[in-house]
Amino acid sequence: MKKTFLDYVLRVRLPITLFVALTSFTLTYFASRAERDGVGYTPDQPINFSHKLHAGDMKIDCQYCHTGVEKSRVAMVPPLETCMNCHRIARKDKPDIIKLTKYYNEGIALPWKRIHKVPDFVYFNHSVHVNKGIDCVNCHGDVKQMEKIGQMNSFTMSACLDCHRNALTRFPDLKNINQGPDNCFACHR
Amino acid sequence: MSDNKDMISKDDMKPDPDYWRSFEELYNDPAFIESSHHEFKEGVTDDFNPGNLSGLSRRKFLALVGASAALAAAGCTNYRDKGDIIPYVHKPEEITLGKPLSYASTCTGCSHACGILVKTREGRPIKIDGNPDNPVSKGKICTKGHADILSLYDPEKLSQPMKRGNGGGLDKTDWVRVDNEIIGILKSAGEKEIAIVTHKIISPTAKKVLDDFKAKYPSVKVYSYELFNEQNRLSTWQKSYGTPNYPLIKWNEAKVIISLESDFLGTEGNKVENTRLYSEGRNVDDLKNFNKLYVVEGNMSLTGMNSDVRIKLRPDAQFEFVMSLIDELRNNSVSSLKTFGSKYAIPPGKLNNLLKDIRENKGKVIVYAGRTLPENVHLAVNYLNELIGGTALYRTDFVEYSVLPLSNKEEIESLVSSMNRGKVAAVIHYDSNPVFHLPADNKYANALKNVPAVITLCLSENESSSVSQYVLPVNHGLESWGDAKIRNGFYSMQQPVIYPIHNSRQKEAILLTWISGKASSYNLDLYHNYMMDNWKNNIYPLLKSKLNFEQFWNGALHDGVVITGNIDLPNVSGQFNSSSFSGINKSSAVSGFVVALKESYSVGDGRYSNNGWLNELPHPVSKIVWDNYASISRKTSKELNVRTNDLIEITSGSRKLTIPVNIQPGCADNTITIELGFGRTNAGTISDGVGFNANILQSKDEGLSSWIITNVEVRKAGGSYPLAATQEFHAFDKGRTKDAAQKRNIIREGTVDEYKKNPDFLKAGSEEVENKSLYPPYDEIKKGVKWAMAVDLNKCLGCGECVISCYSENNIPVVGKEQAAKGRDMQWLRVDRYYSGDPEEPKVSQQLMLCQHCDHAPCENVCPVAATTHSPDGLNQMVYNRCVGTRYCSNNCPYKVRRFNYFNYRDHFNDGYQQSPVFNLIFNPEVTVRSRGVMEKCTFCVQRIMEAREDAIRDERPLKGSDVKTACQEACITTAIHFGDMNDPSSEINKFRNHKLGYYVLEDLNTRPNVTYIAKLRNTDKEDA
Repeated sequence: MKKTFLDYVLRVRLPITLFVALTSFTLTYFASRAERDGVGYTPDQPINFSHKLHAGDMKIDCQYCHTGVEKSRVAMVPPLETCMNCHRIARKDKPDIIKLTKYYNEGIALPWKRIHKVPDFVYFNHSVHVNKGIDCVNCHGDVKQMEKIGQMNSFTMSACLDCHRNALTRFPDLKNINQGPDNCFACHR
Repeated sequence: MSDNKDMISKDDMKPDPDYWRSFEELYNDPAFIESSHHEFKEGVTDDFNPGNLSGLSRRKFLALVGASAALAAAGCTNYRDKGDIIPYVHKPEEITLGKPLSYASTCTGCSHACGILVKTREGRPIKIDGNPDNPVSKGKICTKGHADILSLYDPEKLSQPMKRGNGGGLDKTDWVRVDNEIIGILKSAGEKEIAIVTHKIISPTAKKVLDDFKAKYPSVKVYSYELFNEQNRLSTWQKSYGTPNYPLIKWNEAKVIISLESDFLGTEGNKVENTRLYSEGRNVDDLKNFNKLYVVEGNMSLTGMNSDVRIKLRPDAQFEFVMSLIDELRNNSVSSLKTFGSKYAIPPGKLNNLLKDIRENKGKVIVYAGRTLPENVHLAVNYLNELIGGTALYRTDFVEYSVLPLSNKEEIESLVSSMNRGKVAAVIHYDSNPVFHLPADNKYANALKNVPAVITLCLSENESSSVSQYVLPVNHGLESWGDAKIRNGFYSMQQPVIYPIHNSRQKEAILLTWISGKASSYNLDLYHNYMMDNWKNNIYPLLKSKLNFEQFWNGALHDGVVITGNIDLPNVSGQFNSSSFSGINKSSAVSGFVVALKESYSVGDGRYSNNGWLNELPHPVSKIVWDNYASISRKTSKELNVRTNDLIEITSGSRKLTIPVNIQPGCADNTITIELGFGRTNAGTISDGVGFNANILQSKDEGLSSWIITNVEVRKAGGSYPLAATQEFHAFDKGRTKDAAQKRNIIREGTVDEYKKNPDFLKAGSEEVENKSLYPPYDEIKKGVKWAMAVDLNKCLGCGECVISCYSENNIPVVGKEQAAKGRDMQWLRVDRYYSGDPEEPKVSQQLMLCQHCDHAPCENVCPVAATTHSPDGLNQMVYNRCVGTRYCSNNCPYKVRRFNYFNYRDHFNDGYQQSPVFNLIFNPEVTVRSRGVMEKCTFCVQRIMEAREDAIRDERPLKGSDVKTACQEACITTAIHFGDMNDPSSEINKFRNHKLGYYVLEDLNTRPNVTYIAKLRNTDKEDA
């Protein structure tokens, strides 16, 4: 029986095309996953604030600025007032500080670019995690080394559950820790 | 639907003796039976009226979406962009983001001035609760108090001062201009009167403002009125005891309470305090002090619904009743009451028991006459209480305090006549609405035409503003300063919790600006400073406080109350003046129809009619929403040849009203009861067209009293008007589950005697439920905290405070009358009401029904996407993001407590009312705002549980059941709702779960609910029936 062109298309061309399409989709899907989850997102900020300088080199405690982290759901980006505690005197001549002072004096709120975000239907709570002794680094990465702040880890539900389900192995040094809750109402309500 | 004849001919049929919810169900009305066969209510599955849908067509919508996507792409926005974080420049010291703050203040919804705590989030008030430090309200408020927060964010609140232009319309203007013009008018008034018409003044500082205003403009006269007031009670007290100070009643110490046409648990007097004290005598663990409530009334009221013995009697026969009771007790004759009983077909057993209880409980029995009753009844009741020792229950150490007495009828009439004679230069409606409230035949609105300047200060437009030249917006109570004095011994303080949202001003500050004579003298702190000065100079020195003024003032605002001790106790002890009784007019003619006008349970005197939550709160008795109606008895309906929803025309003199009827079980014959506060015009999108204005039946030449009108003519008007009731929602198929409520033990009840004799009577008849289950054993629930609720049906009065509190806490949408009629109300908890026994004189049972959080929840295993699951602390969880809207769970729920979002109620309807940006401010940020296509239900206030857990973790202590109070529990005045950890053996909830009167609804299904009901005990014996 003579092999037709149709046979060739069906037996060779189609499987190859499908294979290539599927493989490239799968590879792109997994390769771009981190990107889609926002890992590595490091936008320009209105003021070139360096966490490395403040938290790393000068060893200012995270909670000097992020005062809500032990008390409340949100860690809180500090009010400009907090910056001005030092910068009324310190480094007044630097261009970014001049910009900051201008914002402050004119009473204009500073629109920082948001880095970390969980969806609206997730009720994440900083205080319960921090009060259990879980360090900021676990989710936010080594902020002390970041010249420009960016997202280091994925903030997806699977990332949350990964820790919640393996809390004891993840944090062997913490005494007062239980397995994290993995019921729906723990985060959604 | 069947016609009238069908319905009425069913009367000969024997009614089912079981629990029933309406006459339609009781008499097996074919329409009811037909509807119970269907899953959906009539019309639900019909095509939608496109006119009601959003103005966007599907095609247009897709085009818009495409265009906006293209624009977004063209704009090259960064797809990773997550928006901005905008911190404070200066953070207020007391704010921790994400943590609520509560401020003490005073409710301004009515003249009872309950203490409130306003919960604010980042400076935005989101919930109102009671202030526990207030000696009268003690941490509780009524439905209107809870719903007041919605009025704060009403998008139809006035935002600008307005002046009527030449064309007749209102034009926006600015404060400086109106202030200057009005000051000019006031200055040039000269001899002519300037009238201020206001609701009851309860604030001493506001009174001082009015006095200053009078000093500046000597022709000022102040008139105050309330649509419902206690004038008859107070004036007769003056006649009987020579003092105007009517004492409070020690409801908690009464063993027998006889309420005559009085709704003291529903709308009358200080309802919050009455209810709390009354429920103290309804403790099943203290049977010795269990009270017995007799209610003699014309229409089934909330109080009547909760009575042990109810005697139906038309309101104009109350005087005859009291007189024959007096006759009986004084002369020990048995004839007069008997004659009376046979005249009005009252079972003799009830009257004999009443006499027995009065005689046996001397000093512990009180007769209380309703405020709508005429003076001669009050005089007779004063005497009756002297006779039976009811005076022992008068409280003399704590009395009502009147800052400014209400004007009497003659004063209002003289105002109208001087307006007509052109002797009035200006009328100032001081946050009041006399055009709607005053009797129509006063012709008040007409008289206003002869007044050159009518100035209305109001929150939002109303009937009075529509006939005014100047309409000035005032601050809402939560934007205002103030103080209030309603009793001796303490002051209640009011402070603003939010900056005025619109360009409105505090009403006192508006007067102060006019007093100063300069428009420029206004500033935001004008009244604040005035009030502080008044306190510093006039009140603070009297208190002999050890603190300096600033400390004292801050403390006062923090606490919300200033306790003064008994420096201002008026003289209340008066000698009974027996001539007041012997001199009363004993004639009483009872004939024809009588109309009784009552205050609405939801919208009050109409002040709250633009409030969606309150309109959608089912009437406690009839369960009708979004309307008022004429309540009539079954016999009367037959005489008039009408049935529920048919219109009748009521004629009294020249006044006519057409209104739909509702046939109410337990209504006295020939008595028509109508609630006022509805039928408003020019009051806003929500209230316009809701209900019927029955105020127009009121007359200045009152009949029996301002609220009881005799000699009316009633006839069938033809036509009908559909009332929306939630009472038949979720009706089971009658054929299969015929006597569900009783046979299936949904409602279980007993009498006090039964319980005394055999504490285990409730369990006696019921079989042990087999504990076998297909569900796998779940041991985790026995560890740690497990949440449970108990509802004490002895204390639950069915008032609906819990429902409104839940609206506020859990972002429940308002669905409107049309959707409510289709059974799509979204309330997470409802109060079910069942009638039982004699259909003409039924017993009523209420039951709070909410998600039972079953251990073996039938909803969970039918969900195809696992959107509803169980948590280890015993909660039945609902995850909105997983829900795809199959509604299988709701179908499988035996309690019918799940609610489905058929629409996105917030932006679905074409008026877009709930989409107004100012409405977004009301949402509780701790609770998801649900959208179309998802199921929702009670979560046991999981956000509060999580908040308590967060605090426990921070303090390094285990979470305790007592750390959490649900919103409904917090709101319940009678503390009928208990919540806590049932795994904690010492907890209160554990006591209730193992109570001898405790039962679960539909226990035999073995769903193992976590809500326990404490069975209701009726304090009756056989002869009462």
